[in-house]
Amino acid sequence: MPKKSIALGCLGVVIGLAVILVFLVIGSYNSLVTLDQRVTSQWAQVENVYQRRADLVPNLVETVKGAAAFEKDTFTAVTEARSKVGQITPAAAQSIINDPNAFAKFQQAQDGLSSALSRLMVVVEKYPDLKATQNFRDLQSQLEGTENRIAVERMRFNEEAKAFNTKRMRFPTVLIAGFFGSRFNEKPYFKAQAGAETAPKVQF
Amino acid sequence: MALKPVLRSVAALFCLLLTGLISAEVGTPIPPAPTQWVTDESDFLSASARESLDTQLEEYAYASGHQLLIFISQTSGGVPIEDWAVRAFAAWRVGRQGIDDGLVLFIMSQDRTMRIEVGYGLEEVVTDAQAARIINDILVPGIRAGEHDRALSDAVSALLTTIGGAGTGEEGKPPGQEKAAKPMSLGEMILIGILIIGFLILLITNPSLAIYLLFSILSGGRGGGRSGGGGFFGGGGRSGGGGASGSW
Repeated sequence: MPKKSIALGCLGVVIGLAVILVFLVIGSYNSLVTLDQRVTSQWAQVENVYQRRADLVPNLVETVKGAAAFEKDTFTAVTEARSKVGQITPAAAQSIINDPNAFAKFQQAQDGLSSALSRLMVVVEKYPDLKATQNFRDLQSQLEGTENRIAVERMRFNEEAKAFNTKRMRFPTVLIAGFFGSRFNEKPYFKAQAGAETAPKVQF
Repeated sequence: MALKPVLRSVAALFCLLLTGLISAEVGTPIPPAPTQWVTDESDFLSASARESLDTQLEEYAYASGHQLLIFISQTSGGVPIEDWAVRAFAAWRVGRQGIDDGLVLFIMSQDRTMRIEVGYGLEEVVTDAQAARIINDILVPGIRAGEHDRALSDAVSALLTTIGGAGTGEEGKPPGQEKAAKPMSLGEMILIGILIIGFLILLITNPSLAIYLLFSILSGGRGGGRSGGGGFFGGGGRSGGGGASGSW
């Protein structure tokens, strides 16, 4: 009976196609979820180290204030930058890493604190007595360590975000990611601070 | 022929930029994981001091579980020692898996820089301030005075005192290992059962398609995932840039 076997073959092909489709969707979805989770947990690390820095600020300002009371402008700049950072951090992690605008705002506030802090450390150069105290030296090394941690965790976040984005934009995942709407938005990246990447000028 | 010097300087500038870019990107390649506790590639220490520190750190590792390494080389190749250290730490997988309780003291003799890189698991014990004190109060003055052996052995004893041997012998349950497999729900099991049956039907009716399907599933679906080729050390290797740096 050739007719019967043709019908059976067609059925097999249809089932096969359906199975392929289902497997593709499951596989893509799962790998997106895995990568998404990695980005989220790396984001938590980034928030941790930024929080660590924010926690250092009051202590640092108090210590410097004791020895360098004249530098009022510098203190207010640091305190203001610190409070801006404080307003942003409580937002849910998920919303920041899926919303480029919130992410840019977050980075802007943190970079503001970075530059305010670095100005403070420049001001401190004028006070050798303060620099010699053990308390200040400890705070300074904690701040340096924290800045280094921030650099490391930011770099790792960018790596995880890149892994996610690459997977998300590849075929056929891109079709499936689009199907779930904003659940799998592209992740934003940390950008180098303005001015940090300018090459040194060469003069003849 | 006034063009030639200009051309030459342009070419020189280009070369300068190019080498600058390359070294800034890469630096000295990370060497394979050291096979001893104290590595000295630039004759920084005397042989006897190296030996005794090596024995001391090895005994400490067996007694407490914490892996403390000393790695002395010439240069990190233009990249900041912090970047180099965090990459080397990850590449060598220092510390025990899941606990990440390793610590490496890097010294670059030609750059005259050093760094104490602390694994995640020791961050609470060896704080940045403590690491900075060891560098600024012990290592830098000692190395400046030319007493490398004494500076290193003092620094190691200070580190061992800071970490102590406490709370280490027991096998701490590594966090983050439970993410391996989570049990399937009933719905998922039924779905997978249906899929397996469908696949078997397909295998009978159309074997080549089935095999192609199998391959495409196996090659897809795998996310990132860092490979777990454990080195000489326990397989920890995560440090978040904690520690301190210094130069002399």
